Amino acid sequence: MTDWARTYENLPYFLDALLTGAVMTAIVTAGGFIVSVLLGLVLAGCKTSRSRLLRTFAYIYVEIFRAVPVLTQLFVIYFGLGSIGIKLDPIPAAIIGFGLNGGAYLTEVFRAGIAAIDRGQSEAAIAIGMTRGMALRTIILPQTVRVVLPPIANFAIGLLKDTSLASAVAAPELSFQAHMLADRTFLTTQIYLLVALFYLAMSVPLSWLSRRLERRASRGVRA
Amino acid sequence: MISPRMLALIGEWMPQLIEAAGYTLKMTVLAYMLGAVIGLALALGGMARQRWIVICCRGYIEFVRGTPTLTQLFLVYFGLTSFGIALPSFEAAVVTLGLHYAAYMAEIYRSGISSVHGGQQEAAQAIGMTRGEAMRYIILPQSLRVILPPMANSAISLLKDTSVASLISAPEIMLRANDLASQYYMPMQLYLITGAMYFVLAYPLSLGVRYLEWLTSRGHRSTIAGPAAG
Repeated sequence: MTDWARTYENLPYFLDALLTGAVMTAIVTAGGFIVSVLLGLVLAGCKTSRSRLLRTFAYIYVEIFRAVPVLTQLFVIYFGLGSIGIKLDPIPAAIIGFGLNGGAYLTEVFRAGIAAIDRGQSEAAIAIGMTRGMALRTIILPQTVRVVLPPIANFAIGLLKDTSLASAVAAPELSFQAHMLADRTFLTTQIYLLVALFYLAMSVPLSWLSRRLERRASRGVRA
Repeated sequence: MISPRMLALIGEWMPQLIEAAGYTLKMTVLAYMLGAVIGLALALGGMARQRWIVICCRGYIEFVRGTPTLTQLFLVYFGLTSFGIALPSFEAAVVTLGLHYAAYMAEIYRSGISSVHGGQQEAAQAIGMTRGEAMRYIILPQSLRVILPPMANSAISLLKDTSVASLISAPEIMLRANDLASQYYMPMQLYLITGAMYFVLAYPLSLGVRYLEWLTSRGHRSTIAGPAAG
């Protein structure tokens, strides 16, 4: 029996295992995304703040987390923290790892978004008696959405693919399930092609959505 | 944490990690050159007049950009063996990363080429140049201003992505760190040192890219600054 026939015969079993993994991939992606956005907002706030200390902190954080591979960061969090008594399960470790890493990327996105808004907006807000915080929250941030939406959508697609690295810390997501199946059946080509299809099935709709958002967000605004 | 014992250990580790960093750099350079060449071919293919070439190039780019590097790495390293092609891990990593980055670089070339005003192409053809000549002498040189900064950014991303090659046991920094971490059981110290080594390699590069961005945007109205590619 050829490998392809064997794959076809076991397909329901493979699909079932991979689907379980895909759900986990979605959870890690969503968790990492939420942490990234929150952290990115806070750090972007630090970067635009008047306090020199906060600005320096945000700068150092962003530079370090952007210059080091996310795999290394995952290993520090999972194996490193584990060895000094802070044992995290693979899934929370992955969510924290991708969140801390993604936060650094999104900081730059949010900062660029805030910088893209005309200074007059925040001056006007302060002139009518708003505090800096109120101006940022109610005047500046809503306007930055148009600028930051496309890069955030791209980030989400990148994150979805990066979560495959969580398999290296044994998080039971799509790639990890694939390694298990491949180890057991030796049908590596077939299984990894199936996995590629699973990732495509998740990332293609996302990138379609991001193009749509981009078009919608730029309506009525000169490029 | 910095006790004399720790310093002695770091002294033991560093020569090994630095040797591994040589492999990381070699992998980065080889994969980058592969990606830059194939990427250009893909970008030009995507603009060809023959429909099937366009479809093949676009399909390849979408497939590569829609799937993780790790999956592609396993397809090349483990998957190709069932077709009788067994690449050693280092070569498999170079090929995979090269093919992966080619898809991203193709998009960079494409946006650079399309940033050159259409009149340039028409003028070149009006004075008797062929499409190929116009591309080579007129369009590509002018697109460099748009192409160079993101291409330099790709080098930084690629440098970091070589860490993934450790998962197929290709010799580079991350693999050596894993070996040492299990040998000494000091993962925290080792992965922090590893992170510091990547930082030392990547941070000067990223300062260079920022300088390049500043240099290429001088004398031009600022275009919308895209965020750094992942």
